Amino acid sequence: MGDIVSLVTKRLALGLLTLFVVSILIFFAVELLPGDIAEAVLGQSATPETVAALREQMGLNQPAVIRYLHWLAGAVTGDFGTSLVSGERVSAAIGPRFLNTLFLATYAAVIAVPFAIILGVIVALWRNTAFDRVANVLTLTSISSPEFFLGYVLILYLAVRTNAFPAIASLQPGMSFIEILHRTFLPALTLVLVVTAHMMRMTRAAIINLLSSPYIEMARLKGAPAWKVITHHALPNAWAPIINVVALNLAYLITGVVLVEVVFVYPGVGQLLVDAVSKRDFPVVQACCLIFAATFILLNLLADVGAILTNPRLRHPK
Amino acid sequence: MSVFVVGYYSLLIAASCLAAYYKRREPFLIIFGLTLISIIVGIIGGIGALKAITTVVALLALAAGMSYAFKEFLVTITPERWAKELRTAPLTASFGMFVIFIYAIAGIFAPVIAPHGEAEVIASSFAPPDQNMLLGADQLGRDMFSRIIYGARNSVGLALVATALAFFMGALAGLLAATRGGWFDQVMGRAADIVMSVPSLIFALLMLSIFGTNLIVIVIVVGVIYSPRVFRLTRAVAGNVVVMDYIEAAKLRGEGNWYLIRKEILPNSTAPLIAEFGLEFCFVFLLIAGLSFLGLGIQPPTADWGSMVRENATLISFGEITPLIPAAAIALLTVAVNFVVDWMLYRSSGLKE
Repeated sequence: MGDIVSLVTKRLALGLLTLFVVSILIFFAVELLPGDIAEAVLGQSATPETVAALREQMGLNQPAVIRYLHWLAGAVTGDFGTSLVSGERVSAAIGPRFLNTLFLATYAAVIAVPFAIILGVIVALWRNTAFDRVANVLTLTSISSPEFFLGYVLILYLAVRTNAFPAIASLQPGMSFIEILHRTFLPALTLVLVVTAHMMRMTRAAIINLLSSPYIEMARLKGAPAWKVITHHALPNAWAPIINVVALNLAYLITGVVLVEVVFVYPGVGQLLVDAVSKRDFPVVQACCLIFAATFILLNLLADVGAILTNPRLRHPK
Repeated sequence: MSVFVVGYYSLLIAASCLAAYYKRREPFLIIFGLTLISIIVGIIGGIGALKAITTVVALLALAAGMSYAFKEFLVTITPERWAKELRTAPLTASFGMFVIFIYAIAGIFAPVIAPHGEAEVIASSFAPPDQNMLLGADQLGRDMFSRIIYGARNSVGLALVATALAFFMGALAGLLAATRGGWFDQVMGRAADIVMSVPSLIFALLMLSIFGTNLIVIVIVVGVIYSPRVFRLTRAVAGNVVVMDYIEAAKLRGEGNWYLIRKEILPNSTAPLIAEFGLEFCFVFLLIAGLSFLGLGIQPPTADWGSMVRENATLISFGEITPLIPAAAIALLTVAVNFVVDWMLYRSSGLKE
């Protein structure tokens, strides 16, 4: 077991290091502004006195490294400073929205993951048939479509023309769980369409890759039925790449969620980020970026750790 | 039962019987599957649903026919060396090439094809289609069709420039890393890791919030975000070539790095690189479309597909499909490029084994 523990710890340390470097990148990117934040916020017409006052208030007179350490210390404890536009605490604005975003991503993942793996296995079983080819074309189309296209198509056919689901996924307090699921079904379905296609293709590829192995031929020669060859012999060995792909796609959900939230006016972090970018509200932009990047890195980490753990050679050291 | 329904089913059943009789398994499965689906859909949706299926099948058949003809056309006009490769293209790949061809024509000859200027206000806002305007007017009363044609030039052009930049930077760094190795390789590798550990859309939003949204910033930011992918692939592909004997021989002859890259490594790694260019273009195109959709890409009044969708999105709540056309144009081009790339990847992997 020692091998696994040291491998996983190494990977975790690497992940933390990456997150640290990314936080430096996010913080110091804003330093690249011509002038500084105070000038950017107040605009051209500001008098030197007001700029100086705002600088004092925001602590911009301290060296950048000190400010970075302050910011990082705050970020670790969930304090991202105050918004430049509304004057609100950034953490207060992000907190509930982050939960909403997580909810939407989880909702999509719960539908997409089992669906994609089962379909991937079926397609691998029926490879090179008409069904496989149709699935190939459909999944390619779904991957290639921008999220907002899929979102608006779903709105047009499932919300406007048939009235089956609401077109706008706004949430009010006091809604029952079923009602929330119903309201957020269209955004979740959009994400499912985008992610399923990719996961399914990779599952198919992972399984088919293994089918040329000698033990698969052995299983075939001893007369095992085709589905059993796949579920008993190929699938257990394909878990590592499949887990990898699932985690990577969950990470992709985090990016896809931004566009989908905007299409469906869903109160999540993505929409907050887009608003903040157009208003140039840097503390909010930095906080959102850090949260998205951290989630992304975490999921990538999980992908690697999952791949390590499912490798039997590492689980049973000699 | 109308004549249409009777004709519809008898045609399908006759065709599936013919396919079964001549032992053509795949066409039989497709046609008979369609028959079974039609029965179910017909019961639920009535004759309208059957007509919709007929339209879809007819469109697909038309697309397939067009792709086949286009492939034969390409085979005839290109020199023998290329024609041999082109003959192996599946229908999807030739469909992709046909679509890319159409987009290229639309983009290059936009001012000739479009009946109106891209920023020309000619009607009231959201005016319905008439003989003057094929698709009606947008939110400011500009001709939707002309703007879509101009969009082919602006959106695709911007994505191409950004892809070319990403590709140039990534490939150059990758080739240098593979030939020189050492600290350069290490530094570039770690830098690529960092850039790839931030989601691309988030990274782009961060950078655009700082530098503002103008075209040069978009091109550079997108180029930087997507160059690590190219860097990794080029480094891997070139890494396999660098260990070959003929590289050793060239080094012993005293050739410099630049000669090695140009004359020895590049010609031996073109196939995967071209395929990567196509894939990269899809990513870049979708990212830029997403940014434009968020209002952070190409700024008005320049026609651009992503922002057109957003500007006309209100029409969707009235059940109109016009705002979806630019979005569909984005999807269609990405699908087409993917089809072609799929074929090329299959070929390049098949040749290696």
